[in-house]
Amino acid sequence: MTGSVGEIEAPGIPPVPAGVAPDAVRGRSPWYLAWVRLRRNRVALGFGVLFILIVLVCLAAPLWADHVAHTGPDANHITDKVLIDGQEEYVVSPDGTPIGPGLHGRYLLGADQNGRDVMVRLLYGGRTSIFIGVAAALVTTVLAVLVGLLCGYYRGWIDAILSRIMDVVWAFPVLLLGIALGTTLALGGLKIGGLVISGDSVWIPIMIIGLVYVPYMARPIRGEILALREKEFVEAAVAQGKGPIRIMVSELLPNVVSTIIVFFTLNIANNMLLESSLSFLGAGVRPPSASWGTMIADGYQNIYTAPHLTIVPGAMIVLTVLALNVFGDGLRDALDPRAKIRLEH
Amino acid sequence: MTKMRKAVTATVVAALTTFGVAACGGDTGDSGGGGGTGGGEINVSMTSFPDYVDPQLSYTLEGWEVLYNTYTPLLTYKHAKGEEGTQVVPGLAEAMPDISPDGKTYKLKLRKNMKYSDGTPIKASDFTYAIQRLFKADSGGSVFYEDIVGAKEYADDKAPTISGIVTDDNTGDITISLKDANGTFTELLGLMFAAPVPPTTTLDKDTTNNPPPSSGPFMISKVEAPQTLTMERNPNFKTVKDAGATDVADAGVDKITVTQNKSNSAQVTGVEQNTIDFMTDPPDADRLAEVKSKFASRFRMEDSINTYYFWMNNQTAPFNDVRVRQAINYAVDPEALNRVFGGRMHPTQQILPPGMPGYEEYKPYPYDMEKAKALIAEANPTDRNITVWTDDEPDRKRIGEYYHDLLTQLGFNATLKVIAGDVYFTTIGNQSTPDLDTGFGDWFQDFPHPDDFFRPLLNGASILPTNGNNYSRANYPDLDAKMNELRTKQLSDPGVKEQYAALDKAYMERAAWAPYGNEEFTTFLSERMDFDKSYHHLLFNQDYSSFALK
Repeated sequence: MTGSVGEIEAPGIPPVPAGVAPDAVRGRSPWYLAWVRLRRNRVALGFGVLFILIVLVCLAAPLWADHVAHTGPDANHITDKVLIDGQEEYVVSPDGTPIGPGLHGRYLLGADQNGRDVMVRLLYGGRTSIFIGVAAALVTTVLAVLVGLLCGYYRGWIDAILSRIMDVVWAFPVLLLGIALGTTLALGGLKIGGLVISGDSVWIPIMIIGLVYVPYMARPIRGEILALREKEFVEAAVAQGKGPIRIMVSELLPNVVSTIIVFFTLNIANNMLLESSLSFLGAGVRPPSASWGTMIADGYQNIYTAPHLTIVPGAMIVLTVLALNVFGDGLRDALDPRAKIRLEH
Repeated sequence: MTKMRKAVTATVVAALTTFGVAACGGDTGDSGGGGGTGGGEINVSMTSFPDYVDPQLSYTLEGWEVLYNTYTPLLTYKHAKGEEGTQVVPGLAEAMPDISPDGKTYKLKLRKNMKYSDGTPIKASDFTYAIQRLFKADSGGSVFYEDIVGAKEYADDKAPTISGIVTDDNTGDITISLKDANGTFTELLGLMFAAPVPPTTTLDKDTTNNPPPSSGPFMISKVEAPQTLTMERNPNFKTVKDAGATDVADAGVDKITVTQNKSNSAQVTGVEQNTIDFMTDPPDADRLAEVKSKFASRFRMEDSINTYYFWMNNQTAPFNDVRVRQAINYAVDPEALNRVFGGRMHPTQQILPPGMPGYEEYKPYPYDMEKAKALIAEANPTDRNITVWTDDEPDRKRIGEYYHDLLTQLGFNATLKVIAGDVYFTTIGNQSTPDLDTGFGDWFQDFPHPDDFFRPLLNGASILPTNGNNYSRANYPDLDAKMNELRTKQLSDPGVKEQYAALDKAYMERAAWAPYGNEEFTTFLSERMDFDKSYHHLLFNQDYSSFALK
């Protein structure tokens, strides 16, 4: 039905196209539309499910350790013996070669040079790697959003100072900065006011990784806020007497949420890669704790006699990072098909 | 030798007294002898380049391996394999020193008509110059020679020369006066630190890029530190041999190129494929079994004089309780740690290693986890928070992980600290470092005398604010007194070796350490090398004078 000239449409009722029954028209939120688009991307969805499966399997590590392997991730069994095909074999032979993978229950993926069950360490290591990836992504996101909002909204000297600090962090190669911080903090830990983190804590790599990626996320957010800052709805909010914090939180932030979500997902993958690199180089997770990076570092010394020590955690890293990246790309396409978000470094 | 630097403490030498001629070795088995008139060129690979190409400064295994056959001291160590190689013999000196009855004066005589590789005559005063260089160039080895009269004054710039060394270039007479008798001084004269160099050598600077002319069978002809160096036959070595230095072996090849290669695996492959003739470092555990099985005709394990142990802070809880320390000794399984080393470790539970005078094998703490747990239950320590220290070299990191797990099994709340190998010993040797509870330690002999194991590592006087080596903070006045009494005697005196063995047992009864092994080294040569001639020297690793091509 169309209104005649001079009539005013009832507020809240949008016009319905001719030939379409009003009941057939439903309001769809941007999130619903994004979900519809994501659901159509089967590959992305599949990898998203794969990532969730990996997380669930890793969360089940204590079950495997207690009921199948009967050993913890750090327990050494160098001189123990295990029954294989009715014969007892050393977990680590007298010449130092560990037992390989096989269907012999306790050591499904074999043992490492200290006689530790690789399967148990793989699961516990996965928990550590994924936890660091997610926690560091949260640290990055919180800091980057804060910096992006402050710089983009206030501009001027606040923007100048914070942006230059970001430039300084950006100027260092991520891995080099991570190694420098990791090595320095490994011995004495981190003490900032009341915040005390011991050198062997998993929060050290989380803080390091979380910090080094802040500029990579803060810059695009700042750019978006700078653009949004000039929009009419912000002027309207100012005219209504809203304060800066309220404008940032209730007007600007909701408009960059999709960007943040996509960045967050891709950032987890990058964090896991950086954690593995740092741990491999001895500047990440501290031994004897397992992470996929420390497992590769431990295993590569035995690449000739026990390649499984390197291949298995390496394959898990590839699989998880691939899953996150493909899912993250799908999420980006779903949330904003026109977006050109890239996490570059 | 990684721990040789750690031997550089003031206490090491401050306490070395008594005189006497070394009584090392005694094994009359087949000696290597080295030498030969063959020729050819070979190449050697090392994971780490020598710290210095300078006889007064070098203090690593790699450095001494190269310099042993380049610079000849007045006395030297016999070119022989096994314990025979620990015997001190005349080098540039005509004979062993004439020692005064009070043990404070050493008289030697330089052989005549000898020349360095560049043709410069070797003079008696060159010995003085070498000792002066130790002090002016801040050598880690200078502490060994502080007992020489006037050395401290010279080091402090209060005297123009070292008054305790008198030389006569015409006669070749050398007289050394010591402040106190020092039973190890003969061995010290055989170290690289005391090798004469001509006065044209820079007094106070490292000569790595321009090494002084040599007095041994080889000379250093080219150095590109830290990548490569070249050793060539010394054209004037004949003058040393003609002067009667029969115990200094001749070169068996014309040229040796030493190259640093950080990849152990690449080195193994190089030797297997005959592109590298000798690798200084043992093959990693990963390749060891393969090398042993496929290349048995050109590979063998070699003894080395060292001890690997866990140190425990004897002065603070929980390790100030002897029952806790004994429990650790019972819980440590040397066989497990041998496997971590790829089967290259001789299991032990005592301080002195095989080959060291005074070594008497005994096993006070056979592996018994239940007994260890019972002792811990009996001691019931209130402080169970322990920090375990180790460095980041692969074997040592794994040892630290093993030890961490062991302590956890015993009911401790252990935290593992893995720090970089190049700062590890300075960190744990610094008393201001917090939480120095227990950790990895090793010690390689500087010279073949048991005092070299006890004094720096277990004497109360060796507990220093920085650069200390007594990581266990062992401080037992009765055992210190015994150690001091023994240093006034010669090893050749009746019963001295037995008393050193008893001292070893006394420390282990108190479980001052938890020792677990003596690392073995290896000889792995290319196919073209004469495997039977080449041998490992107990002090200087491979004896390059024994290298020869088939």
